[in-house]
Amino acid sequence: MASESCGNPTADTDARMIRRPKFDRSKFCVKCKENTGNIVIRHAVYCKNCFMPLLTGKIRRCLESFINDKKSGRRTYLKASGNLLIGFSGGLGSTVLLDLIHRIYFPSKMESERRAESLKGGTAHPRNEMIWQETRVCYVEVCSAFPNMNDRTEEARAVVLKYEPFEFVSLRLEDAFDNKWWAKVGGKPGQGLVIDPTNEALYISKLEDTSLADPVQRLRSYLSALPTPTAIPSAIRMLVRLLLLFTAQSTNSSHLLLATNLTSLSISLISSISQGGGFTVKEEAQEKWSSDIAGEGTSRTVRLLRPLQDIGLKECSFWAWWNELHVIGRDKYPGAKQGIGALTRDFIVGLERDYPSTVSTIARTCGKLVPKAGANGTCVLCDRSLQIGVQEWKARISIRSLSDSTPPPASSRPSLSDHLCYSCVTTLTSRSSKVTARSDGPLPLPVWVQPYLKHSIPSEDSFDVAMEEELKEAGGEIWERRKVDESEMKGKISDFLLEE
Amino acid sequence: MPLTVRIEFGGGLELLFSNEKKHKLTIPNMVPKDNDTKIPPDSSKEVKPADVDYLIHYLRDHLLKERPSLFMENSTVRPGILVLINDTDWELEGEGEYELKDNDEIILISTLHGG
Repeated sequence: MASESCGNPTADTDARMIRRPKFDRSKFCVKCKENTGNIVIRHAVYCKNCFMPLLTGKIRRCLESFINDKKSGRRTYLKASGNLLIGFSGGLGSTVLLDLIHRIYFPSKMESERRAESLKGGTAHPRNEMIWQETRVCYVEVCSAFPNMNDRTEEARAVVLKYEPFEFVSLRLEDAFDNKWWAKVGGKPGQGLVIDPTNEALYISKLEDTSLADPVQRLRSYLSALPTPTAIPSAIRMLVRLLLLFTAQSTNSSHLLLATNLTSLSISLISSISQGGGFTVKEEAQEKWSSDIAGEGTSRTVRLLRPLQDIGLKECSFWAWWNELHVIGRDKYPGAKQGIGALTRDFIVGLERDYPSTVSTIARTCGKLVPKAGANGTCVLCDRSLQIGVQEWKARISIRSLSDSTPPPASSRPSLSDHLCYSCVTTLTSRSSKVTARSDGPLPLPVWVQPYLKHSIPSEDSFDVAMEEELKEAGGEIWERRKVDESEMKGKISDFLLEE
Repeated sequence: MPLTVRIEFGGGLELLFSNEKKHKLTIPNMVPKDNDTKIPPDSSKEVKPADVDYLIHYLRDHLLKERPSLFMENSTVRPGILVLINDTDWELEGEGEYELKDNDEIILISTLHGG
């Protein structure tokens, strides 16, 4: 019921609240104070002339403190320790990122000369150009994941090749399951592993099914075995991220730039937390990644940065429009509409229209979050930090027994769930009460999982064997915890049961 | 006197409008207050000067070819669709209440065409 103090707008026209304009003060640009504004960005008005340097300034601020390698000492100019890799999806954000990076750091000869005349020095002076020796733009085609999706590789290539001297690198999502690609980035090809997604322990076995020899088949089996529509876009995001990181490492890149803007960052933060990724919330904004399972013994550190993280979807759209950029777009994944990611997107985009400052508050607040517990290695699937004691915590809070299920037999098979972060376990096992698993077939694992497991399992096994031998010699007991069924349990305690 | 308004769609929004990016419309200068776009207009209805709100309804009723829910929500454009009035953000011009003038250029851009 409406409060009386609010009045009734239908009867009393004075009771109607006057709509507040979405900008503060006047319609003049807050920067030059001369021109009439053309765009409102979170209540501040900017003219077209001031909008362009505003965006390039935001990119510079976000990126430049991370370009120089700290180890190389203090430099007065910008110089990266390796090459640059830019992730390109064909969407609005990555089209704008490509254009902005090219304008700022790869100006044309004419522009260089103009700048040299107007500047005496500073980081923007052309003599300090070529921060990165080589720049590649990597496009990951996802069309093989679903039927009837268009392959946009050639369209992406055409966009990228407009920006000299960028080199186009084309990958496919199924490369994550392809030994040829793995060998190309310096990995050692293995036989391949599958897991049983119907069991929460996610027991690992070797891939023996010949129908899964083709990487596309493996990719499709992987996606179709995921339990919910939410898990599919999350899995694709994770695969693309790792494909780009390993490519960055193999191309000797010190920086990997992704086009996540303020709006999409807020969406991914909320969506990731709701899917169990709270422990790695900081990595959603930026991360420092290195791996020693691929490459020739070298573990180059790749800094994954998101230079558009202070620029909203609206600014990106205006930039693309005013600069006549061609956005090739991306197809929506089938079924993704019902997922948490798409629902969060609808919510945040609506919020951004009505309360524009709230979206940046989400990103800023998440930037202050620090995990309570420490990390214990990395997840073998997504290669992000593994929270200490996550399995025990999950065992304590989850009700896992179903009325018609029998207790799982004790298995000596290695379990993948012990080596996964909470977010990946959730993606692979968390079933909706409404949606049943799309497929009960084996779930093939990406090519990097086996080498990561080799790093973590043998040391653990050798530790257990050594402990067992030590205990046997000392005449000690070895305790084993396993689930038993009701009749076995009754048999064990039968001597102590009272007769009815 | 009728008004001529130029419309341009961007960011993939043109896909809902028979894949045509540019349109030229002629609309009456006085329109029903409830944004009813019936032609000829109902003369018994209260009228107002033609504004962007009316134009949005007009586009939905006469130009849109598919999925109106992707274009409109709660009597305005869906969140994620930006409107520019003569190259300026419509938030500076009063949004839907902006009164159209002859030869105005209205641009509608979808921001949700991948990102």
